[in-house]
Amino acid sequence: MKISVWGKELNAWVAAAALSKVGNHVTLASLTPGHFETDLVVRNEPGLIDLLREQHKAGRLQFSDAPAPYDNDVHWLAFASDTFNIAEEIVKKIAKQTHGKTLLINQSYFNIGATEQLDNLLDSSAGQFIAYVPSTLSEGSALRDFENPSAFIIGCDYKQSFSQIRALFRPFLTRISNLQLMSAREAEFTKFSINGMLALRLGYINEMANLADSIGVDIERVRDAMTCDYRIGPYYLEPGCGFGGKAFSNYIRGLVETFQNKKISSLLNTLLSENEAQKELPFKKLWQHYNSDLSGKTIALWGASFKPLSASISNAPSLKIIDALLAQGCKINIHDPAALENIRNNYPDETKINYCDDMYDALTDCEGLILSTAWLDYKCPDYSLMKERMAVPVIIDGRNIYDRDYLSDIGFVYYGVGR
Amino acid sequence: MKPSLKDSISWKKLVELAKTAKRSHLSDLFKQNPDRFDCFSFRHKELLLDLSKHRVDTEVLHHLLELATERQLPEMIESLFQGDKVNSSENRPALHTALRLPATQELWLDGENIVEGVHHNLSRTKRLVDEIHSGQWRGFSGEPIDTIVHIGVGGSDLGPMMACRALAEHAPEQARGLDIHFVSSMDGSQLAKELRQLSPERTLFIIASKSFSTIDTMANAATARAWLEHSTSAPIETLLNRHFIGVSATPDRMSRWGIKPDHQLEMWTWVGGRYSMWSTIGLPIALKIGFENFTRLLDGAHTMDKHFRHADINKNLPILLAMVEIWNINFLNINAHAILPYDGRLKHLPAYLEQLQMESNGKSTTQLDEKVDYHTCPVLWGDVGPNAQHAFYQLLHQGTEPVMCDFIVSARRYTRSKNSALDHQHNLSIANFLAQSRLLAFGNNALNTAHNTPNYKRYDGNQPSSSIILDELTPESFGQLIALYEHKVFTQAVIWDINPFDQWGVEQGKVMATDLMPSLIEDSENLQDVDSSTSGLIKAIQWSRREHSR
Repeated sequence: MKISVWGKELNAWVAAAALSKVGNHVTLASLTPGHFETDLVVRNEPGLIDLLREQHKAGRLQFSDAPAPYDNDVHWLAFASDTFNIAEEIVKKIAKQTHGKTLLINQSYFNIGATEQLDNLLDSSAGQFIAYVPSTLSEGSALRDFENPSAFIIGCDYKQSFSQIRALFRPFLTRISNLQLMSAREAEFTKFSINGMLALRLGYINEMANLADSIGVDIERVRDAMTCDYRIGPYYLEPGCGFGGKAFSNYIRGLVETFQNKKISSLLNTLLSENEAQKELPFKKLWQHYNSDLSGKTIALWGASFKPLSASISNAPSLKIIDALLAQGCKINIHDPAALENIRNNYPDETKINYCDDMYDALTDCEGLILSTAWLDYKCPDYSLMKERMAVPVIIDGRNIYDRDYLSDIGFVYYGVGR
Repeated sequence: MKPSLKDSISWKKLVELAKTAKRSHLSDLFKQNPDRFDCFSFRHKELLLDLSKHRVDTEVLHHLLELATERQLPEMIESLFQGDKVNSSENRPALHTALRLPATQELWLDGENIVEGVHHNLSRTKRLVDEIHSGQWRGFSGEPIDTIVHIGVGGSDLGPMMACRALAEHAPEQARGLDIHFVSSMDGSQLAKELRQLSPERTLFIIASKSFSTIDTMANAATARAWLEHSTSAPIETLLNRHFIGVSATPDRMSRWGIKPDHQLEMWTWVGGRYSMWSTIGLPIALKIGFENFTRLLDGAHTMDKHFRHADINKNLPILLAMVEIWNINFLNINAHAILPYDGRLKHLPAYLEQLQMESNGKSTTQLDEKVDYHTCPVLWGDVGPNAQHAFYQLLHQGTEPVMCDFIVSARRYTRSKNSALDHQHNLSIANFLAQSRLLAFGNNALNTAHNTPNYKRYDGNQPSSSIILDELTPESFGQLIALYEHKVFTQAVIWDINPFDQWGVEQGKVMATDLMPSLIEDSENLQDVDSSTSGLIKAIQWSRREHSR
């Protein structure tokens, strides 16, 4: 099929790469070739840049310098939440310039009801249809998630378009165990509800962790036992120093706004502010350890991306920790396997941050280590080298990746989340 | 040497003119001169002052301004601005105007350019405000501070509280999550109520006291400190460092109390408490409306300063307002003054002006320590106008006391709101201000009252009033308004030859209270030194406590 992909979000790039890989002719309508070499969204995602280069070379992937791609079989919309008016303009042009049938797949991060609004701009009697297919990819494993979804939701109000939708997604649905068909509005609502639920689980376990902390219980033992209950399960129950990322946070914020517009107070609103506070938890533990005076101290930070396997620092807890430490006059040695450049760009003129390519170098003369991202690299470090490098062996484990008792045994002062 | 006030030529002339004026009615004056508004209303920047509803005519106004010149007002204004020791009983200048000078100007006092010190402390204020607004001022547990409790009394309380309320809608985004509370009462009742609801981890106290020894403030500060100590095991040094800012002219006392030098803001002996909201005492204002808006407030006041200092006496708003009131007080024997803002945001303005005017000019000795033989400051009170209409307006309309009134209103409001019902409410309020000032002035003549109307339904009118209209309530216009009143107070003090910058009348009561404290703590029988009323009251209190503890 001939496909136009609109928008600059991660799912635009991923859809373009994956769809062209299976033979479609794809035009990335909002982007130029120069983009993918410099775009952070692309560079932060493992494997994406290589696939894009490959497909471009093979001639199946074009960019906006090709003729304006309004007249195509399929239009893929992958816009950020705040660009609805741009999407509207594009859909109007598609409606006007398309000869024959066309299918629009909306995968943008718009609010509930957006697909219907876009549908109003189309002429279904002329075979112009729109479907909402929520994005199931998560940053760090986006390509894999796109190509091998385990469940699939299609929100579409036009039965006539089902055969084309099936044909479009056929290469990716081989291992599908669950396909849900519903109206576009229901599908949008489902996407928001899923993200809200996951966020609530994270918020809940963090709240329990903070309580456990204050009454001398180890939340990790509690969590292990909780996850054995089949009604609860293990997902999104890791206590830690808060969640980040762009898409996930945007969904929760969008949902909170929907509640606020309806003047309904929402659990999620509290959850969002609690999550922001949770991001500062490692800082607070260090602050208390040093009796409210951190001025002039050198602190090491391991991990800056919002989650492992991603270079993205969007809404990352590390940013809050860095801001708090800088405000107290600390020097910070940062190590991250992928996100250092992003941090550097975020603090262009900051002289008190020292960027370290080696994780142990970051520990040199530091009076405390904060771990904020659970990269594999950090899970089993050389403890004796750590102690040797650190001026004071204090560890704030923001992701509970270390064995508390062992670290205490070998002479570290250890603080975790909820333990 | 100046002749005594009553012997001055203009005074005598005004006494003559008052004989007719006392018999005149405002409705007659408006009949005689239908263009009174054009003759007796004045504008400076965002502020319009209408004095046409006073019983003055061109001749009276001319002699009032003559009187001002005769009493050397222009020279005294220069003295005030230059930093002469206009506060003679305490031998110091009164330089609230210096607090509003731009950094580019200089004012030398005892070999020091005080503008430098002022701006140094402004930038320190800005730093504190930025730290708090960015969520980086941390309490003992590392939580960001989101609650401010400002402890102060009198001038360290009324100005900041008034301004925070008046300008709240100018709060910038980063200040909206910050709660600011004001605590002043000596008995701790306000503080106790706040402390029940506040989180010790997130609360920062500002202790504001020029002397850092005001008993009301220090008692509240001690309670705050004890509350923090009870809530955590964190060491006291940490609590003092993370939860207290001091504002005072006595740094050594702040240090002794335990406030870290970094968290001390300086004020100066050359600023009077009731003139101090422009100084570091204004920290809560900057926290509420943002530092930028705080400087807009200072700029507004500064434009009024320049106007007062340089504008022609015939167009000088503070002087005109002051002299028309002098006419009312000293020649028409009107000794009550109601402050009536028709704007809920100015709720605390009456209380502020009560202090500004009564503590400044509630005096009866001249600069040469002689008793005056004329009236000085009238009794002032007030409330938000529409509310006061349901309270004390009855007395204004049909009582036996002559009262002059200040109506304060803003022309534009709710300009950014889409709710037209709010526009309607604003219009309703303005209509009420117009109706009340009209009825007070003209009484029955504004009503076409029938001949047989009973007296209890009649309105005599003839109560004079000033109307102040702000284009819009902004930091600038509010700064102008308050500076207008400050300079009016100074002008009147010059005419009356009194010192508006001391307050000896409030000193002795504090001393006496200290002397009486022991008799309340222990069951003292030693009450011979006091009068029978006081000793009777003490015994009654002791008895009640004994009965209760049985």
